[in-house]
Amino acid sequence: MANRIQINKEFVDIMPQDYLDLVESGTYETPNRGWKDFGTATELIAEHSLCAGCPESIAFRHIMASIPNPEDTVMVGSTGCTSLVFPMIAVHNIHSLFGNQNAIATGLKRALAVRFPDRVKDVIVLAGDGATVDIGLDMTLQSWFRKERFTTICFDNELYANTGGQESGLMQKGFLAKMAPVGKRFEKVRLPEIARESGCDYVAIMTASKPSLVEKVIKQAVLIAREVGPTYIQIYTPCILEIGKQSMEGLQEMRTSEAPGERFKFREFISPEAQSFLDGLAEKKKAEKIATTT
Amino acid sequence: MYNVAEVNAEACVAQKGCRLCIMYCPEANCIQMDMKNMKAVIVEARCKGCELCVVVCDAAKHNAIKMVAR
Ligand SMILES: Cc1ncc(C[n+]2csc(CCOP(=O)(O)OP(=O)(O)O)c2C)c(N)n1
Ligand code: SF4
Ligand code: SF4
Ligand code: SF4
Ligand SMILES: [Mg+2]
Repeated sequence: MANRIQINKEFVDIMPQDYLDLVESGTYETPNRGWKDFGTATELIAEHSLCAGCPESIAFRHIMASIPNPEDTVMVGSTGCTSLVFPMIAVHNIHSLFGNQNAIATGLKRALAVRFPDRVKDVIVLAGDGATVDIGLDMTLQSWFRKERFTTICFDNELYANTGGQESGLMQKGFLAKMAPVGKRFEKVRLPEIARESGCDYVAIMTASKPSLVEKVIKQAVLIAREVGPTYIQIYTPCILEIGKQSMEGLQEMRTSEAPGERFKFREFISPEAQSFLDGLAEKKKAEKIATTT
Repeated sequence: MYNVAEVNAEACVAQKGCRLCIMYCPEANCIQMDMKNMKAVIVEARCKGCELCVVVCDAAKHNAIKMVAR
């Protein structure tokens, strides 16, 4: 299986340097890939048009560095600011109609299992809060009720960023935005709790302030989705533009919002089945370590 | 005019293991490790001038990055 990512020799002289760099030093088929590759390996994202300093870009980088199996992963995106990055990633991906992402991923995951019965194929949905919680809520929930085996990642910036700041289900109560001028009258939807009750075997709520934590959560979520059942990750990626922050203030905003008692304090739910799967993985790792040191 | 980040190699402590700017720059493949000199270097063409690298480097008291006009 090694060296599946190769370039046709006939094309070497006409391919752009970025492409050659990816083939040369992109971290495909690298079992222990992670954020530690930053700065030395070629990342699987090219230049895109998100705002300067956008935390969605930070989270996207951390995620793309962490997915365990990029050469056999298909990502599903939806409309929103994230869809400005999808055309620029070096992993197979599908752009779905706004809100349909979990329905597309359901069909895709099942089709991949039929088409490639002997190969591990991971499916990862990555969409904004508007796509996940408002317009796509039906599809999001149905995929969880049916225990579809893929990971859903929600970039929660608590509003519709791409269309100028409308109210979303994940917006905080009382929040005022440019296109939501009277203030939200309802509570932020408790999607992590809904995910747990709807059949997800792993749920995490967090910010993108720590690459090592994002890496750990993404790896767990993808592996559990592969072997146990659906997984859901909600990451606070503040829209600095719509909440009136400067380009360099996104990291501080994430740190403030994950302090004890705040709405993005790191929380994790692991079902008993997922826990015993993780325990099995840890045991295996330990045994391998002992085998290599003795 | 456009602002981009610039690393002062003398002040950068990447040789001691610091990777803060590389971890937090929002842009992919934008701050690279020069493995020969063990210093962080900015790929100017990819820098959007957000200044987040300056914030994290200064917070760690390394003060090795400043913004320059291009
Ligand atoms: C079917 C459909 N309805 C509405 C839109 C308009 N639209 C484009 S982006 C967007 C909001 C996206 O918000 P969110 O999912 O939170 O992503 P963000 O931009 O905040 O990252 C909307 C309503 C659309 N493109 N397609
Ligand atoms: S509008 Fe907001 S979410 Fe979209 S790219 Fe700009 S800062 Fe990021
Ligand atoms: S944060 Fe500052 S000291 Fe650390 S690697 Fe970057 S430039 Fe060097
Ligand atoms: S200014 Fe922003 S985009 Fe430029 S190198 Fe620093 S963190 Fe990266
Ligand atoms: Mg949003």
